[in-house]
Amino acid sequence: MPAYYLEIIVVLLGLAVLTFDAVGRVEDKRSLAGLGVLGLIVVFFLLFKTSKPADPGSVFWKFYATDALAFFFKGIAILTTIVVLLMANDFIPVLQRFGPPVEAKAHPQSGFAEFVALPLFLCAGLMWMASANHLVSIFVSLELVTVTFYVLVAYLRRHELSLEAGVKYLILGALSTGLLVYGLAWLYGATGALDLSGIEGALATTENPLPALFALAFILAAMAFKVGALPTAFWIPDVYQGAPTPVTALLAVGSKSAGFIVLMRLMTPFLKSELLSGKVVAVLAIMAVATLLYGNFAALLQSNVKRLLGYSSISHAGFLVLALASAPSHGGALETPATTVAFYLASYAITALLAFLVLSIVSAARHGDDLNSFRGLAKASPFLALLMLLSMASMAGVPLTIGFWGKFFVFQQAVFSRLWLPLGVAVIGAAAGFYYYFRLIFSMYLETATGADGNPLGKDTLTKIGAGSRIAMILLALAIIGFGFFPGSILALLR
Amino acid sequence: MNQGIEPYLLVSGILFAIGFAGVVLRRNIIVIFMCLEMMLSAANLTLVAFSRHYATPLSTPDYQAHVLLFFIITVAAAEVAVGLAIIVALFRTRRSIDSDSVSALKF
Repeated sequence: MPAYYLEIIVVLLGLAVLTFDAVGRVEDKRSLAGLGVLGLIVVFFLLFKTSKPADPGSVFWKFYATDALAFFFKGIAILTTIVVLLMANDFIPVLQRFGPPVEAKAHPQSGFAEFVALPLFLCAGLMWMASANHLVSIFVSLELVTVTFYVLVAYLRRHELSLEAGVKYLILGALSTGLLVYGLAWLYGATGALDLSGIEGALATTENPLPALFALAFILAAMAFKVGALPTAFWIPDVYQGAPTPVTALLAVGSKSAGFIVLMRLMTPFLKSELLSGKVVAVLAIMAVATLLYGNFAALLQSNVKRLLGYSSISHAGFLVLALASAPSHGGALETPATTVAFYLASYAITALLAFLVLSIVSAARHGDDLNSFRGLAKASPFLALLMLLSMASMAGVPLTIGFWGKFFVFQQAVFSRLWLPLGVAVIGAAAGFYYYFRLIFSMYLETATGADGNPLGKDTLTKIGAGSRIAMILLALAIIGFGFFPGSILALLR
Repeated sequence: MNQGIEPYLLVSGILFAIGFAGVVLRRNIIVIFMCLEMMLSAANLTLVAFSRHYATPLSTPDYQAHVLLFFIITVAAAEVAVGLAIIVALFRTRRSIDSDSVSALKF
């Protein structure tokens, strides 16, 4: 089966969800999410059954890459969407309260089918991004993802913060689109090619680097928006806090990982060019330092857990940009840095999805996502507290969790490339991370929560966890520890 | 005819700068949105100029760039469709489309 069938199947799956909702008279709409999850699990296994292109020279494969990296990121996109759909199932009460207004006679869960179908379309977009190899396919897949996110972020139309986050994401997202398109136009102007191999050939022989660097400035600013790195990361805390929690998880993991593979593909021609690579590395190193400083130090002051995860996502982007900046020491082949970035993103995906699953359950039960909602969680629900402990430990990079290996490989790269200053900042940033991640753990285990009435918050609502999310949480927790012991099994997928 | 590519790039650069300045400076969200569309148009003009610049000896422009341009126009239309819906929803709740009114989420 050709690889591009996978995206088509995912789009059809989204359409099937909408069709069943329209004609099927579904009583409990959670079965729609179930349909989506089952379909995605099938697609995930089909990922290993794809065939190599029969005619790799033909025009189509200029638009669509089928390397190991592409499949790896398609896998991340699919697994993320599965977890997000499971999260959406538990999110129905919030949707009913704040979602699109429901007419009196309509189904009480109406509006949920779209909340399932849109992440599926988005998943197809993320999978296309993983394979995008040509400026046209990069642009179109990126915009498929961005425009779908506009809808999803503002989905809780009657909730003030969600709508506000939607407007902010809309304006800044459209701004980054404008920057990206202008940068792509100049990249075309500098090289005369739209496919990345053609661009690579043209940049390798170019004598005047100025147009390409001009294009690079715009492209970097736009892609930094997608992956959440400075100079365009300021939207992240606001939008993460305002968006519905499943959408925040999708933004944090899906958008960031797909954004990074596009960024890597776009940077490869620059990093391979003799004339440009030194300058590009300097810019990337500055970006990494600024992102690490901003993400880690702003996170120290946060009391809202969703916002905290937003700043932590910025700081993770800083580590990833640092890995990218250390590319040319390997002959510009970018292979080892690409592996590092892919591994780090896989570890971040597993860790962050677990954190968002716990967060969405706790915030739905306790009607809030600030630090206070997590106080005394260990007494109310030892299960959730333990999972959050694991997730935070992995985010901070405690040894024998998967997050440790992610940071370890990044530091190793930076040492090989002698990027001493960014490395120092990264180490300080990682140390700051220990403070704010462990403050959350401290709140869960050593403090007691008091509700609005002054009494300790009970455990009654916390035990209502859907079977799907429960299984997903246990599997993610096992993955954090399991891959912490055997990181090589992820790396093997990339060869 | 053959006055070179520079005037076109200059005009598109000015168009882009005006659009960018509008996004940063204006407070009305509809106007901001118009400025964003202007930035996309600037990119389109750049693409057309470069595609003429890379014309083949038979003087057909490089049609690859035109394909990207049509995709940009299509995507811009999709973006407007979603964007205006969000702005309408904002107006219904806030009775204002001033960007200063969206300030509940703060540090």
